[in-house]
Amino acid sequence: MEKDKLSQQKLDYNLLFILFLMAIVSAIAIHSAQPSLPEKLQNVNFASKQLQWYGIGIFVIVLTMLIDYDRFFQIAWYLYGFGMVLLLGLELHVPGTVTLKGATSWYSLPGMGNFQPSELMKIFMIIVLSRIIVNHREKYPEPTIQDDFKLLGKMALTTAPPLLLLMKQPDLGMSMVFTAIVGSLVLVSGIRWRIIFAIVLSAIVVAAILVFIFFKFPDFFHKYILEDYQLNRFYGWLAPYEYSNEQGFQLIRSLLAIGSGELYGKGYKNLDVYLPEPHTDFIFGIIAEQFGFIGASVVISLFFLLVYRMIHIALESHDLYGSYLCAGVIGMITFQVFQNVGMTIGLLPITGLPLPFISYGGSSLATYMLAIGIVLNVRSRTKKFMFSSED
Amino acid sequence: MKKRKKAQVPFRLNMLFFFVFLLFSALILRLGVVQIVYGEQYRKEVERTEDEIVSTPVPRGKIYDRYHRVIVDNVPLNAITYTRTKTTTPEDTLKVARQLAKYIDKPVEKVTERDMKDYWILTRRDKAEKKVSKKERKQFAKQGLSEKEIDQKVYKLTLERITPEDLKEITKDELEVIAIKRELDSGYALTPQIVKNKGVTNKEYAVVSEHLEELPGVSTTTDWERHYVYGNTFRSVLGNITKDDEGLPRERLDHFLARDYSRNDRVGKSYIEAQYEDVLHGKKAKIKNIVDKSGNVISTEQIYEGQRGKDLVLTIDIELQQRVEKIIEEELKAAKRSGGTPLLDRAFVVMMNPKTGEILAMAGKMFTKNEQGKVELRDYALGTMTSAYAMGSAVKGATVLTGFQTGVLHPNTYIRDEPLYIKGTPVKKSYQTMGTINELTALQRSSNVYMFKTAIAIGGGKYQPHAPLSIDPDAFTTIRKYFSQFGLGVKTGIDLPNEIIGFQGTSKLPGFLLDLAIGQYDMYTPLQLAQYVSTIANGGYRMKPQIVKEIHEPSNDEKQLGPVISEFEPVVLNRIDMKTEYIKRVQEGFRRVMQETGGTAAAFFADAPYKPAGKTGTAQAFYDGPIKSKRNAETYNLTLVGYAPYNDPEIAFSVVVPWAYQHEPHYPINNKIGRKILDTYFELKKERMNHDSEQTDSNLSTEQSNEQ
Repeated sequence: MEKDKLSQQKLDYNLLFILFLMAIVSAIAIHSAQPSLPEKLQNVNFASKQLQWYGIGIFVIVLTMLIDYDRFFQIAWYLYGFGMVLLLGLELHVPGTVTLKGATSWYSLPGMGNFQPSELMKIFMIIVLSRIIVNHREKYPEPTIQDDFKLLGKMALTTAPPLLLLMKQPDLGMSMVFTAIVGSLVLVSGIRWRIIFAIVLSAIVVAAILVFIFFKFPDFFHKYILEDYQLNRFYGWLAPYEYSNEQGFQLIRSLLAIGSGELYGKGYKNLDVYLPEPHTDFIFGIIAEQFGFIGASVVISLFFLLVYRMIHIALESHDLYGSYLCAGVIGMITFQVFQNVGMTIGLLPITGLPLPFISYGGSSLATYMLAIGIVLNVRSRTKKFMFSSED
Repeated sequence: MKKRKKAQVPFRLNMLFFFVFLLFSALILRLGVVQIVYGEQYRKEVERTEDEIVSTPVPRGKIYDRYHRVIVDNVPLNAITYTRTKTTTPEDTLKVARQLAKYIDKPVEKVTERDMKDYWILTRRDKAEKKVSKKERKQFAKQGLSEKEIDQKVYKLTLERITPEDLKEITKDELEVIAIKRELDSGYALTPQIVKNKGVTNKEYAVVSEHLEELPGVSTTTDWERHYVYGNTFRSVLGNITKDDEGLPRERLDHFLARDYSRNDRVGKSYIEAQYEDVLHGKKAKIKNIVDKSGNVISTEQIYEGQRGKDLVLTIDIELQQRVEKIIEEELKAAKRSGGTPLLDRAFVVMMNPKTGEILAMAGKMFTKNEQGKVELRDYALGTMTSAYAMGSAVKGATVLTGFQTGVLHPNTYIRDEPLYIKGTPVKKSYQTMGTINELTALQRSSNVYMFKTAIAIGGGKYQPHAPLSIDPDAFTTIRKYFSQFGLGVKTGIDLPNEIIGFQGTSKLPGFLLDLAIGQYDMYTPLQLAQYVSTIANGGYRMKPQIVKEIHEPSNDEKQLGPVISEFEPVVLNRIDMKTEYIKRVQEGFRRVMQETGGTAAAFFADAPYKPAGKTGTAQAFYDGPIKSKRNAETYNLTLVGYAPYNDPEIAFSVVVPWAYQHEPHYPINNKIGRKILDTYFELKKERMNHDSEQTDSNLSTEQSNEQ
């Protein structure tokens, strides 16, 4: 059992190094965005505060790693229940909830600022869905097509309640993250390709029908399908110059900032274009304007490396549960990066999702650190069996 | 440790990784498109900013009299202005108005019901929304209207449905907010709009200045108000400028906009202020606002600091003007007191330098009822060029000269003054039968018959007692042609707008030709009369009357006028056709009128040391003044023209008192005024000479400080 003890110390330094680079990028980007912030925020040094959050994040990682991830497997449903209680609290507007820009998504924590329970819930969802898949796999080692549907049904039933609550807040961005997590887990769960294709196909068909209704029966569409403010996101995204609403305005500013950065960028702290929320949602615009296509690509590559490293850990793990956890985290991070970067360059509609690890923000950073902690946990408990053959 | 790994999981994980790869590739691809393919385009767009050049008003030029005394000055006023940007919304102005209302008092009487309704909608959104039901909104939507049109319709409906009860909710404090807001809203983007400039207390000014931070767009500056140093004196000719809430006159909007005016500029709208708008209006300070694509002002820089308007120096002697106006007032009152003058309500005097055409005084006074129904004397100096009257015998100088020129008279022609009996006409005669007289006596004693017979001769007619008279109607044209060489019946050319040419009788019956010859047919303005007598006084040159002498560069020194930019030279409009020899005869006749016994004005002027010459006039006229019931009543106009000294005239004048009396004996108001104004003129001249010899280096500054 000596080997066990040794392997306890096994830390993934590659992952930690990538994380370290992320922290540097984040500090530089936030620091350069500081002068563009509104006056009332000028007395806060966001870059140094972000580094403090990184410090707290490391503490979170250590805490996560102290517990064997099998424990998470055991208490998965309790975590899920805890998360649901928090979300229900928001729905019922219990004292301590905070409403910003029409969405009730936060609890006010004395001394810590605002805390967004859906951030935690993302992690809990990964934990609980992975358990569902593992249990299902054990029960049906040779699943029939009905078993696959059964699994899908279980996952859908588990995801639906928190998803509904999120949509009611409303928090479109977070709901999409949840969907992405579920999607990546469905993919790795081993459900037949046929079913996956069918789901993707039906999603496309539904989208096509909606577009058809929108153009053919606009009244019906406005009344029963999407509210005007939701539609505005699409208008702002697809035709920012015609629809000078808030989203359109933000997209135009963002495209101007990023585009004018060109290949090499304008140089550190040379910002010509005013961007809204430069230190949080639009931090990628700040990076792309200053450091150009090259700098922006480096940042994207960094994320790619991070995902690559996590895939590696998932593959190395001999434990199904560990692999699923990693897959969930990958889905979550990938989607958020894609969504955040995509919205700044007009690839996706604008939603209020931060760029993981880079955007300023304590509670989101803590969540990603928690996720990283889980992945590191999986890694550290993966044993190399001397006599086992590589599969 | 459990070992539950299945072979398919690594494959699926690789698939996941493949999707991640695809997504990230999409990002890089799109990033490349934005930054590399379109990068240059975006960069150019960022570099492109718009420059908006905004002009801020500068004070108007001042107006001085001929001796450089300020007549129209600018008084600085504390002013609070507001400049809206292109992106300012009603909510923004409401916010600013609410803040401002805390610091300043604003009178609320200008607030309209519409202002209140707009405010009500803006502040009571929920209630306003209920005014138009969803059903109605949907109906609009069904009509296929665009969203904008629907919004407009709904807004209009809401406005209509606001009841007086709703408006009663608006408190007094809110009313003030509305009053301020309406000023804020009335401006044009990037053009400063005055919110308050009258009665801004020092405290208000200071408090607003302190709180400019929280009042975006608001600024405290100095505004200028016209100040008329001599009150009502000459006021009507000086003209007016538009008020700050009036802006550019609508009928000349394009004219002004093409000349770089802003819509809320104050401009001259009448008389001197309007005529010399180009001079008095300064060059505005130009401020360049650099504006980005969404209309936010990024920075401002001043590109031209502006220059206040140029100063006008008038030909008017304001002291003479003041005294002349006083004389008119006194004499009008005296005439009224003397009785028999129910229709008398006005009198005019024009005094000009006959050699240069410079107008020294131009006065008119009129009794009018003011708003309270009280009778008061109002300035009517404008009447000297905008109203015309039958001038009577004053024009006889022109008649005699026309006689000479047409060859029907020669110097020293004797004609018999006798009552004329023309068939079908009442007897035509002079006020007394004078026997056989020459043209000098005819002028001296103001013979009508001498003029009648001259006119008949011009018309080729032959007078035979009790026979009908026939004359060539062309004689009207001939006489009018020569009269016009003196300025009678044509524009005098004065540099002021709205001058009239008088009125011509249309009928060409022979009797009217006789009336024309004694100034009882066509009507002339007092200014025309002054030009006429000047022409005789200066030996036959019709001078253009001028009211502006010089234009000066604005100076920064309050006490000193800037350098002269342009000076107005005397303008000879025409030389009359008559020989100098003929003119001399008329001048001698005019001298006799005032200086020889038997002259119609000798009783008033014979003892005058400055040796005047002139001609009186009494015209039988029909009343056409403001009292409607008395229209066409028979009355007499009293006039007097003259100049002094007779041998080297430096001042020429006309006095016109329409509807002066209805029956004898009459108060000789024309002569009284004439004597007094000439006395005053020479008195002032003497005073000035004494003053100058005492203080040869007298300059503006002492004169001005004496004045104020």
